[in-house]
Amino acid sequence: MVNECSNITVVCREEEKMNTKFLKNWRILLLVISLLLAFGVILINTTHDETGYLGNTNIKLGLDFEGGTLLQIELQNEVSSEEITRIASIISQRIDPSGLKDYTVTPIGNQFIVLQMSETDPVELEKVETRIRQQGKFEANLNGEIVFTGDEIRKVLRGDNSFGVYKAGTNSFEWSLPFVLNEQATIRFTEKTFHKCSATSFSASGQPIYECEKTTFFLDKPEALIVTSEDQYAIDEAMLYNGDTFLNIPAQTDITQVIEDSRLDVIVYNGVFDENVLASALLKTNKAIVSSDLNNSVVLALQEKGFEVTKFNFDTQPWIWDVFNAQQIISLTEGITNEDVADISQAKQFSNLRISGRRENAQDASSSLNELAILLESGSLPTPVKSISKETISPSLGESFKSLVIMMGILAFIVVGAVVAIRYKNWRIAIPIFIIGGSEVILNLGFIVLTQRPLDLAAFAGLIAVIGTGVDSEIVITDEIMAKSKKVKESLLSRAKAALFIIMTSAFTMIAVMLPITMFARAYPGIDKLYGFAVVAMMGALIGVFITRPAFTKIIEMIVDKIEKKE
Amino acid sequence: MDDYFGKDYKKFLIVPAILAIILLFLVFVAPGVSSGIDLTGGNVIIVRTAHELNKEQIETVLNENFDLEELNVSTIASPTGYGAWIEYSKNPLSAQAEDLLSKAESTLDDDTTSIAFSNELIVLLGGEEKTFSNSKLALLDAQDALANYKEEFSLKLQNILVENLDLGTDVEFQKKEISKTLGEASFGGMAFIALIGFVLIVLVIFIAFRQVVPSAAIIGAMIFDILAGLGGMALLNIPLSLTTMPALLLLIGYSVDTDIMLTSRLLKERSGTPGERATVSMKTGLTMTGTTLAALLAMIIVSYFYQIEVIYYISAILLFGLVGDVVSTWLMNAPILLWFVERKKK
Repeated sequence: MVNECSNITVVCREEEKMNTKFLKNWRILLLVISLLLAFGVILINTTHDETGYLGNTNIKLGLDFEGGTLLQIELQNEVSSEEITRIASIISQRIDPSGLKDYTVTPIGNQFIVLQMSETDPVELEKVETRIRQQGKFEANLNGEIVFTGDEIRKVLRGDNSFGVYKAGTNSFEWSLPFVLNEQATIRFTEKTFHKCSATSFSASGQPIYECEKTTFFLDKPEALIVTSEDQYAIDEAMLYNGDTFLNIPAQTDITQVIEDSRLDVIVYNGVFDENVLASALLKTNKAIVSSDLNNSVVLALQEKGFEVTKFNFDTQPWIWDVFNAQQIISLTEGITNEDVADISQAKQFSNLRISGRRENAQDASSSLNELAILLESGSLPTPVKSISKETISPSLGESFKSLVIMMGILAFIVVGAVVAIRYKNWRIAIPIFIIGGSEVILNLGFIVLTQRPLDLAAFAGLIAVIGTGVDSEIVITDEIMAKSKKVKESLLSRAKAALFIIMTSAFTMIAVMLPITMFARAYPGIDKLYGFAVVAMMGALIGVFITRPAFTKIIEMIVDKIEKKE
Repeated sequence: MDDYFGKDYKKFLIVPAILAIILLFLVFVAPGVSSGIDLTGGNVIIVRTAHELNKEQIETVLNENFDLEELNVSTIASPTGYGAWIEYSKNPLSAQAEDLLSKAESTLDDDTTSIAFSNELIVLLGGEEKTFSNSKLALLDAQDALANYKEEFSLKLQNILVENLDLGTDVEFQKKEISKTLGEASFGGMAFIALIGFVLIVLVIFIAFRQVVPSAAIIGAMIFDILAGLGGMALLNIPLSLTTMPALLLLIGYSVDTDIMLTSRLLKERSGTPGERATVSMKTGLTMTGTTLAALLAMIIVSYFYQIEVIYYISAILLFGLVGDVVSTWLMNAPILLWFVERKKK
């Protein structure tokens, strides 16, 4: 090239002009910038856990590639859209109270809820299924006795005036949750809470100020003997005493109080087991949960006695709080403990109760309220589950899948490139088609990452559509510009116009097919499986029409122009 | 400039006409297109192993041990291993139990009756009759019993297959269980979006070309392509399902591309005779279809050998549809348009 330049100066200058023109063209610039952004989105900040992603990128892989299970829950009858959202949140609360697992729960239409998870173990799946159907076992306990349980709650009065969040002062918002107990629980509540507040001092106006006892709320508390190490116990004791607003643990919570309320046998292991304690625990249950820092000899000793032992790992929460599935600690108030009467026979019975609390801002207050409302309602689903449909994909299947699908994608790409090269017999035309095709894949992958949707088989099929119609459009553009340039001396602009009409119309037909899917994906079960496919295909059509194909038109125009000038 | 169409182009229409009749027969008469279980409800178990699998042997083993309705087994062999698809609508015992369950559900307000139904179900599945304080608790127990039974049943089925076919530990199972109502709801949803999608496409085409005959021809070609795709499904025994639906939708996208290109060039350009323009378009169109067909062939080969059903299905349907597209665009749409242009001149 350099040699050529020294001889034919005019052509060389033309070429230089072309190069600067090339980058100055806004269509090409737009493509380059979009590509850089897409690369950034796909590759930068890959700080996530590597599992579940494609290599070292931000591309999240779907169920088909990673393995997992899809549960489609059908409710007994159709319900309102608020109701189904509520049922969906109750279900997620039930199967994943800590919110740590990778479950997605999506309501579809008015009767279906789709649950996706990475779990494939049949035993675990059965547990999940049972949890969805079963009543969550909710307990509110005081001094080691049950005050009321989930199935004794008639209902949470969501429609009541007192349900909601109110501004209680500067930087203080009060939330309030009214609910109704059944008769049996009302009597028990009155009995168990009688005189559980005591006046500790008097206010300036002479009114007594009370300090009241606290109830602990549990959801699906395990029936098991709990064995913790001394170290773990000390950590938990300190953590509970410090409190944690996020976990609804008030400051100065006494670990012995929580253990008493759990109504479970708890052993703090100090090197030996008391035979009598083990024997009496075994009478109640043969299950034991052991803190994971205790060594295997402890597990063996328990197994010898006949216990089924589970090791429970320490998370960020206090270990014992996690094991118990404790949810909240709620203080009684003097208004309901009948402090004004001397004898329980005169006590007033309250079936309508109200739990309230204060937070610093309205948003926190409302999330506290909703969390507790769902907890109280989780005893029973407002509408029962009719059936659960299930689909599992084994993870090892997913693994081989992943590499195969990638291989197939690359192979298809090479084959397409070969066909194009054979047809045009000119690498200067074949290479841009190849590069633009690749750009469309990258831009669409960037889009998939941005929407935080996983790349599953449906999205992969969408990519096939994008590549296919993309290459089709590029061939149309190339032929249109080449054919016309040979015969009529039209301006480059009008040459491109005919091509534009064709690719626009074909892009809009693609959008016409895919639009109904994206619009109704949340309305019909099954259609949601096509959502990823439709979104990618539609977005691909738009990216093609507005970014890649205009740039391609410009590139081909320049190349054809150059070829003609040389001729 | 070449003109492959000449004066007798109308004769070309015979080919798509005959093909359409054959395809209609394949799709609607025999062998017909079946619906997948995600649209009808039912159970599928996919087995993958390095051991050779035999269709008859699997059927015999299952029939000896179980009483499965509408059992359908298909096997596949590839260099990477063997696979079997076992499909059945349900087993009679769980069907009976589901029937009792819905009776218990519909009588929830009447404690005694509902509890009786729930208990009947529990006993039917091998449990013991219990006393319940209310119908809801009984129903939950009954639902649980049924879920447990189903899980145990599928485990038992897997174990029996492993034992009788000597599969050892080198085997993978994949399961799918879709309830009948869910299948029906999915089918309804799919029909609905297909209908709306079709109406929107017709709108886009009519707005773009604003002439009845060319627009109708494009839509006719699109229907022909879908018919070709369905014909392929009938021949290869690929069921219509939520995984094959995208293939049919893709077919629409691919098929209109060539038709739009042809129509636009024939109607909007003035260089050469219509026959010549159609010939130039055909070169472009065949390149378009050619690239896609080449990519599809690569995908079919890989997915067939490695048993990736979904991709195999999608690419096989597209292959049939695009071969159909060559016929519908160049032997049907092109002659119709040439005829239309000729008549307009007169």
